[in-house]
Order: sequence, then structure tokens, then C-alpha cells
Amino acid sequence: MISGMKTRSLLAALALATLGATGAFAEDKVTVPSHDAVAAAEAPKDAVVVNIAKMKYETPEIKIKPGQTVVWINQEAMPHNVEFQAGVTGEAALKGPMLKKEQAYSVTFNEAGEFPYHCTPHPFMRGKVIVE
Amino acid sequence: MATPRNILPADLARLLCAGLTCSVLALGTAYAETAAAPQTEGQKQAAEGAAKLAKGEDDEPHIGTMPKADAHRVYVNDPAHFAAITQQFIIDGASGNVLGMTDGGFLPNPVISNDGTVIAQVSTVFERIARGKRTDYVEVFDTETLLPSADIELPNTPRFLIGTYPQMSTLTPDNKTLLFYQFSPSPAVGLVDLANKKFDRMIDVPDCYEMFPTANDTFYMHCRDGSMAKVEFGGAEPKISHSEVFHGEDDHLINTPAYSMKAKKILWPTYTGKIYPVDLSGDQAKVDKAIEAFTEAERKEGWAPGGWQPIAFHRVKDRIYLLADKREEWTHKDPSRFVFVIDAKTGERVKKIEMGHEIDAINVSQNAEGTLLYGLSTGDRTLYIYDEETGKEVRHVDQLGRGPQVITVSDMES
Repeated sequence: MISGMKTRSLLAALALATLGATGAFAEDKVTVPSHDAVAAAEAPKDAVVVNIAKMKYETPEIKIKPGQTVVWINQEAMPHNVEFQAGVTGEAALKGPMLKKEQAYSVTFNEAGEFPYHCTPHPFMRGKVIVE
Repeated sequence: MATPRNILPADLARLLCAGLTCSVLALGTAYAETAAAPQTEGQKQAAEGAAKLAKGEDDEPHIGTMPKADAHRVYVNDPAHFAAITQQFIIDGASGNVLGMTDGGFLPNPVISNDGTVIAQVSTVFERIARGKRTDYVEVFDTETLLPSADIELPNTPRFLIGTYPQMSTLTPDNKTLLFYQFSPSPAVGLVDLANKKFDRMIDVPDCYEMFPTANDTFYMHCRDGSMAKVEFGGAEPKISHSEVFHGEDDHLINTPAYSMKAKKILWPTYTGKIYPVDLSGDQAKVDKAIEAFTEAERKEGWAPGGWQPIAFHRVKDRIYLLADKREEWTHKDPSRFVFVIDAKTGERVKKIEMGHEIDAINVSQNAEGTLLYGLSTGDRTLYIYDEETGKEVRHVDQLGRGPQVITVSDMES
């Protein structure tokens, strides 16, 4: 059982590495620098920050330009993420990793449009990125 | 506990039939033995079988059918501690006989109509037991044969997989529409057209939970902000409105309130034994003065509700039944040994019934005379049946799966 899980994790890691090598995680309309959560300090410095605290995205609606990156930083112990439903950023859903306190996750938006998202375990937490 | 039974030819034939039909068991009569009866069902059948043998009558194996539902029909659902497949037991509360069983998938939601003519469930299966392709579906059973009369697939696996809350799936008053809840990726309610045996559509709803239908195109929900939402779905777009917020953030309402669709009334207890009567008979949900089930002194002693389904409501008698015990805070899902009976009109306590067992779920038959109080023990896997007036245990049905939790009854009284 344990070895099976390890094998699957390894396969998943290999699959991600392969994708990474092609320069991507590129969905149709966005690019994701890392599918893993990173320390907030390692988040892109020029990104637009959306802090998460008190079971809310602090700025639930933000407006950016094409090519800009948004970084979500969790400020509390309760884990949160961002999830875009299927059809929003690409054909498949984009489900970000769960962020622990002071972890970050970034998405670069390549095209104009509206990108609604929510937190997977807390569907009442909703936000929207508007790319103009 | 019941004593081991002898398997006689007639029983064997029934078991054989059951084995052959696999997914549907219509046993006709049952195995459960009553505590108070002078002769158990097994003994009665043994005597009948012996008499037939003595007379030289041939045994005629057959597949039995279900008798017509009455006020004492009671359904016990066994979520089986999150097992991939589950069962529901259909029981005659008056005799303590298991009349039949239905199979379910993962955490199914049983749905039983008030007139007893619809037995359905919203269920989930996977192509390799607990993995592989997932299929969510609604299954309707013929009430006489328990054969499936409809199997309606739900697109995009929308079911909310959660410990079984009765109001997470329900029927409209005309029994033509089944509603089920979706939690993720966003709060929504699925509509299933039972009349035409097809999935209809998903309705986006606010951050609200559970459904309480009041009309064929209207249901209410309870929202995170402490209000009730009214959802009218008859038009092209659902019309949604909210009541006033009726409880504070630290006032925790349990997951399994009692709802009488005929009375359009929810009885919704909190962890501490405050019961909110939510009146859905007007234009918007109206919450009447909360009833305190316990005195201040009792609360200090630790009396509080606890169990899986710890409240029941008798519409005609206008009585509330609250399962409770002395307990530590945050043990509200542990079983209890007492039922507090409360007059819903005055809020006064009528009596306190000692159940004699560790009970997790309660319900009551809705007939005005000869009302039965049901107490289900998940640990004992036994349904204990009590005379509601005297509070005395009159019979029990054991061997109800692995972890039975939910009791459903129909309200057939006019």
C-alpha cells in the first residue's frame, strides 16, 4: 500500500517534471509557475497580491492587465487554495494546492477575460480576477 | 440480543430467493424477534412449517412482495461507517419484522414520500468498488417488489458525499421532483424529474445548506450567515430571498433537524438544547420563540442533545422528542440514553423517557393513536421500538447492518 502510494507520487512527480520541461503548466489562458505551494518570500515580487485571511480573499475582485501575475498568500492557519472550475482557465479545472500559513501560489494571466475562482474546501470563499 | 434462529425449509427457500434476486430482497416476513411477544416470528414460522410438513404440503418457494405501507412502516439506513456499499432495511414497526431491503452505494440519501408510494435514493457507485469511474444516480424502487422502477443518472457526479443528513435529499409535496444538494465546486441544488424519469437541472444557490420543500416549486435552505433562504424554481431563473438572521455565530445548529413538510415546520436544535421552531408557512421563513429543552440547572449538570438524528417531531400531537444525556461539551455526536418529550406549542416538558440503550437516532410514527417511538443504536445495530405514551420498550429489531444511523418514516395522517 505504502509502496503503491510512493509509486503513484513518483509518477505524478515525473508527469509534472515532464510538463515543466516543456515550459508549461500552460493552460489555455494562464501560466502557472509552480503547481506546488511556495514560501511567501519566494513569490514573484512584481505580482499582484491577494491575501487570504479570516475565511476570505481580502480583495475578492481584482483588475489586472494581460501578462500580469497574481499571487495568493495565506495569512492564517486554516489551509486555503484557489480553484478555477473547468472551462475558466482552460478545458480542465485548475485546482491550486492547499496553502498553509504564509505559503503562496501564483498564476499568470495571459489573456483578457473574467476568471472566477473559489476555495475548494470552502466553496463560500469566492473571488474573481478581471483581466482587461 | 436475539437468540440464534433455526433455518427451516421455508426460510431456506426465502434465503435462496433472496440470493437469486441479489439487489432486491423481498423477504415477506422477517428474522427479527420481539422481546415482548410470547412467540417469536421465527418460532411462529417454525410451527407453521412443521404443520405443513405434517400435512404433507409441498413447499412452494417464491419471491415475496411488500405489504402496502402503513403508519408503522419504518426505514433504517445503514451508511456502514463510510463503506462503499450500504443497505436500507424496511421494517414493520408494529411487528418488528424486516419486510425487505434495498442495496445502496456510497453514502446514499434515502428519500421516502409521505404517502409511502415512493422509495428512492440518491446514490453513488464506482466501477472498481471504491475507485475508477464514479457514477451518481437516483434509483426509484417499486414499493411492492422493490425492483428498480427508475434509474436516473446525474451528470458530472454532483452529489455531496457526506454522512447521511436526511434533508440533503428530499421530495416536493407532489412527489414529482427530487432535490439533492451539491457542495462542490459551488453550492447548488439538483432537480430530478421523477415523473419523467430524467435529470432536470442544477440551480445555483447562495452559501446555504439542506432543503426543506414547502411547495412543488419552492424550498427553503439554511445559510451560513444564519438566515433562511427561500428558493422558488418555477420560472426560468430561480428566485431567491432571505429571512432575517435568526441565530448567532456561536449558536451551532445541528445537521439533522426535524422537518414536517405537512406542517411546514422545522424544529432545529442547537448543541445546548435550544430548539428553534422555523415556520415556513408564510411568505418567508419566520422563526418563533426558541424553546429551551433544559432548565438552567440541568444545563449546568451537563444535559445536552447528542446523537446522529437526535430530534423528532409528531405533527398531530405537536410534540418534540429530543435525544439527550449528561455530556461533555463537543460530544454532541455521541449516543444518548434519554428522550425529552416537549409540547411544541407551550415549550413545556411532557415527560422524560429512559431508553435503556445507547441511542444515536430517534423518530416517531405519525399516527395519532398507537404512536411508536423509534430509537436506533448504531453501536448495537439495533432498532429499539417503544410505546410513545408509556415510554416502554415493546420490541426490537437487531442485525441492522454495520452502523445504522438514519430512521425515516412517512407522515400519512391527514
